Amino acid sequence: MPTENLSDKRMSKFKNKGKEPMKMRDRRIAESVELRKAHRVESILKKRNLSSFGDEEPLSPEYNTDNAQVISATIQEIVANVNGDCPEKQRQGCQAARKLLSRERNPPLKEIVEAGLLTRFVEFLGRHDDPTLQFEAAWSLTNVASGTSWHTQQVVEHGAVPAFIALLASPMLNISEQAVWALGNIAGDGSSYRDALIDCGVIPALLARLTPDAPVGYLRNLTWTLSNLCRNKNPFPRFSAVQQMLPSIIQLLHHGDKSILSDACWAISYLTDGPNERIDVVIKTGILSRLVELLGFEELAVVTPALRSIGNIVSGSDLQTQAAIDAGVLSALPQLMRHPKSSVQKEAAWAVSNIAAGPCQQIQQLITCGLLAPLVDLLRNGDFKTQREAVWAVTNYTSGGTVDQVVHLVKCGALEAILNLLQVKDTKTVLVILDAINNIFLAAEKLGEVDKLCLLVEEVGGLDRIEFLQNHENNAVYQAAQALIEKYFSEDGEDQCLTTEATDENFVFGASEVQKRFDF
Amino acid sequence: MFDFLLLTHEIQLLRALGNMSQTSEPSADAAVTEVSQTETKQSTAGKKQNKKKVEEVVEEEEEEYVVEKVLDRRVVKGKVEYLLKWKGFSDEDNTWEPEENLDCPDLIAEFLQSQKTAESGGKRRAESDGDGKETKKRKDEPEKLRGFARGLDPERIIGATDSSGELMFLMKWKNSDEADLVPAKEANVKCPQVVISFYEERLTWHSYPTEEEEKKDDKN
Repeated sequence: MPTENLSDKRMSKFKNKGKEPMKMRDRRIAESVELRKAHRVESILKKRNLSSFGDEEPLSPEYNTDNAQVISATIQEIVANVNGDCPEKQRQGCQAARKLLSRERNPPLKEIVEAGLLTRFVEFLGRHDDPTLQFEAAWSLTNVASGTSWHTQQVVEHGAVPAFIALLASPMLNISEQAVWALGNIAGDGSSYRDALIDCGVIPALLARLTPDAPVGYLRNLTWTLSNLCRNKNPFPRFSAVQQMLPSIIQLLHHGDKSILSDACWAISYLTDGPNERIDVVIKTGILSRLVELLGFEELAVVTPALRSIGNIVSGSDLQTQAAIDAGVLSALPQLMRHPKSSVQKEAAWAVSNIAAGPCQQIQQLITCGLLAPLVDLLRNGDFKTQREAVWAVTNYTSGGTVDQVVHLVKCGALEAILNLLQVKDTKTVLVILDAINNIFLAAEKLGEVDKLCLLVEEVGGLDRIEFLQNHENNAVYQAAQALIEKYFSEDGEDQCLTTEATDENFVFGASEVQKRFDF
Repeated sequence: MFDFLLLTHEIQLLRALGNMSQTSEPSADAAVTEVSQTETKQSTAGKKQNKKKVEEVVEEEEEEYVVEKVLDRRVVKGKVEYLLKWKGFSDEDNTWEPEENLDCPDLIAEFLQSQKTAESGGKRRAESDGDGKETKKRKDEPEKLRGFARGLDPERIIGATDSSGELMFLMKWKNSDEADLVPAKEANVKCPQVVISFYEERLTWHSYPTEEEEKKDDKN
C-alpha cells in the first residue's frame, strides 16, 4: 500500500527504528572504524609535526604557528635582557637562549641568529668577570655552530673564533671545554674553516690542555675536536699541522676510555685516507701495532675506525702494506671476517682484497695466516656488499698470485663460490668475476689443465651461467662472457692445451667424478 | 678520487716552461717569471740551462728554488694547483702553486701515478660512504644543572638542611627520580605553596604544662 511504503521510507530515515539489526551493526562498526582511523591519523600527524629535523625549519605550518609566537616572544625578551646593562639580566637572557637552543626538538637556531644575538654572545665570551655569562654564551654559540654551514658561518663571521681560542686557556674547566666543543663544530664544517682555525693557532692552544689530570669528559671533547681538525680533503690539512697533532693523537690512542679511543682512531682514519705520503706520516709514528691491537677490541665504536685505518694503510704501497702485515694485521683479520656486524666483515674483506693486490709474497702470507677459508665463507654467506669486496679479493689474488697459489685458492672453493655469484645484478661485480675466471684459466693453461677446469666449471653449473651472460645487456659483460666461451669452451678448441702429463700430481683441477680428492 | 681522463688531458696541457725562477722565497703569492711556452732553454738568474729535470737543477746554484716533490693536488676556482715541497726547505714552507706556473711534469706525473696505482691496478681506496662520525654536535643535555635550573616542576620538599650555612631544601621534582638541593630563598619565591606544605606537615603544637590536658607530641 502506498501509505505504508511512504511511512517505511520515512522510518528508514530515523536513526534506529526500522532498520535491520545487521545493517545497524554494520553501520556502528563502520562508524567506529572511521573514528579510530581519524584518531590515528591525528596522532600520526601530531607525531610528524614533532619529529625532529635537527636544526632545520619545522616542516608543519600548524606546529610553527603554535609555538612560533611563544618563541618569538621569548626571543624578544632575551634580546631586551641581553642588550641591557644589568649583568643579572644578561645572564638570564643568555641562559634562556641556551635553553631554547638546547631543547630536544627544533631548536630555533635561525631565529636566534636573525634576532641579532650573536654579536652580544661573542662579546660575552670575553667577559672574564662573569664566568656564568661566558659559559652560557659559549654554550649558545656552540649550538648555533652545530647547525648547517650557514649557521656555522654566522658564528664565525661574528668573530667567535679568536674569542673561543682564547677561552681554551680559561681556568674554568667547563668554559674551556665548551670552547673546545664549539671549535670542534667549526672545524667540522669543512676544510676551509678547519684551515682557518689552524691558521689562528688552534692546535697549540688545544694541545696545551692535553694534560694527564684532565677529566675524561674534557678529553673526550678534545679528542673529537682534534679528529675534526684531521678531517676532510680537498685539501688535506697541511703536513705541519698533522705533525703537530700526531704525537698527541698517538698518546690518546693509548687511553683507557673507549670514546677517546674511538675518536682518536677516527682521526687516524682521516689521516690515512689520502695519498701514500699521508699514510707514511702515520706509519712513521709506529702506531701500527697499537692499531692492530685495537682491532681486537669488543667495542664496535673502536673496531670500526681502527679497521678503516688499517684498510686505508693497506691500500697504499706494497711497503706500507708489508708494514701492516709485519705488525700482525693478518692474525686479526680472520675474526673480523666473522664479526657479527656485516659492515665489519665488509671492511675486513676490503682490506684483504687490497693485500691480495700485492706481490705474491704477500699473497703467500694470506695463505699461511689462514685467510682463505674465511674469505670463501664470505663469498658464500656474506651480505652482498661483503661478497662484492671478497670477489675483488679473488680477482686481485688470481691476478698477482703464482700458479700454485691460484690452484690453492680454487681448492679452497673460491671458484665455485664466485661462479655462484655470476647471477647478481651488479654489472661491475660480474665483470670482476669474469676477470677472475679468466685469470684462473690462464693458470690452468700453464699447467695444461684447461680441460679439467672446464669440467669443473661445468659441473658446478658455472658454464650455464657464463653462457647465459652472453645475452647480458651490458656490452663489456657479454663480450667477456663470449670470449671465455670461445676460448675455453668451444668445440673447436684450437687454443686449448690438451697435452697433459697425466700423472697424479698434475691433476690439480680434477673434476669430482674423476678425482674424489678435491672436495668442492 | 680523480677523473683520470681529465688529468691526462691536463698533463698534455702543461706547458713546457723552464725551471721555476724566483727572486723571492716561495710563498703563495710568489711572483713567477713568465717564460715563453715554446722555449726549451731558459735563462734563470743569468744562467742557461739545457734541461728541466730536478736532478739537473740540483747542481745549480742555491738561489734557485727547486721543486723536490709534488705532494697534493686541488682545484681552486676552477684552476688546478699542486702542493710543492721545495728542496732545501722544510715542510713548513710547502706552497700551493697553480699548475701553469710549474715546470716539473715528471714530478707531477709521479704524483699522479701514485694516485692512479692507488685507484686501479689492484689497490682500491676507501669509498667515502658512512664516515661514521658526526661532523658537528649540539650540546643538548643540561648536564650538571642543579635545582631549578633543571627546568622541572617541584613536587614536594622531602628534607631540609643548613649545613652549608644557608638553608636548603631537598626537592623532589615531578617526573624525575633525582632529587636535589635548592636554596630556601629560591624555593620560597618559586614555589611558596610547596614550601608551606613542607612546614605544615612538620608543625608541632606545643602546649604549656599548666594548660589543660595536652596531647602527646608525636610529630617530630
